[in-house]
Amino acid sequence: MLEPIFGNATVEKILFFLETYGKGYATGLAKLFKIPVNGIQQQLKRLEDGGIVVGVMAGRTRLYQFNPRYAFLKELRQLIQRAIQFLPEKEIEKYYRNRTRPRRKGKPL
Amino acid sequence: MIIDWQKADIKELIAIISDHLKKNGIDVVLVGGACVSIYSKNKYVSYDIDLITDSPIKTIIPVLEQLGFKNIQSRLFENPQCKFLIDFVAPPVSIGDKPVSEYNYLNTRFGTICLLTPTDCVKDRLAAYFFWNDLQSLDQAVMVAKRNKIYLSEIKKWAESQGEQEKHKIFVKRCKQEQL
Repeated sequence: MLEPIFGNATVEKILFFLETYGKGYATGLAKLFKIPVNGIQQQLKRLEDGGIVVGVMAGRTRLYQFNPRYAFLKELRQLIQRAIQFLPEKEIEKYYRNRTRPRRKGKPL
Repeated sequence: MIIDWQKADIKELIAIISDHLKKNGIDVVLVGGACVSIYSKNKYVSYDIDLITDSPIKTIIPVLEQLGFKNIQSRLFENPQCKFLIDFVAPPVSIGDKPVSEYNYLNTRFGTICLLTPTDCVKDRLAAYFFWNDLQSLDQAVMVAKRNKIYLSEIKKWAESQGEQEKHKIFVKRCKQEQL
């Protein structure tokens, strides 16, 4: 949808993910979208170099989120939010409705 | 000119680097922790020289190679003789979503440094404190505020626009209390 602007589909997926969930890590994104992890890492690095996202270490995992100091963050997020509204219901259900609320360890899913 | 990269202090190094880039048509603005080092008279020592330019990295690489700095990662440059790392931060120069249009110019015997004003440097550090709850950044904002002429009313107005009145109060309290 915004692929022509962002240059590739992976960046679009990463940005939609971060807009929906707030944070994400490369392996998690790769598993969800079934994209090779190095492809995700490459794009995250590109976004980080551009000041759009920042990575923060949480234990041994590098968690990425939007950089609150990015000059055009408000406008970018508005564009992403608008684009998400146009996603097919099936795609929203598949990628952007994962459980984020906590679940006690050991409790069966 | 022979440069002793190991002994030169951060202000001298930045002046040498800025001057060399400028002579090659590359204008840079110093932002980040190195501004704090300069404004705090090295009370805080940063080992990152964060620069912003509109010139593409590929034009910077050969120019910095003349000073012995190699491009080690997309926007990072390192000189094995020098403890400071040069990082070209993505433009534009901004404090959050507000563009920066006024700069400070420091003249040194090695050249002129273009950098954030002390007031914007405080705002830049406070932005990190506001967004990340980073107490090191709060300390740095206080260090700069205590040693330089800054516009407290402008900082207050900006902090309010960010919805950070409470953290701004803590900053003001720290400025009043501390003898840094």
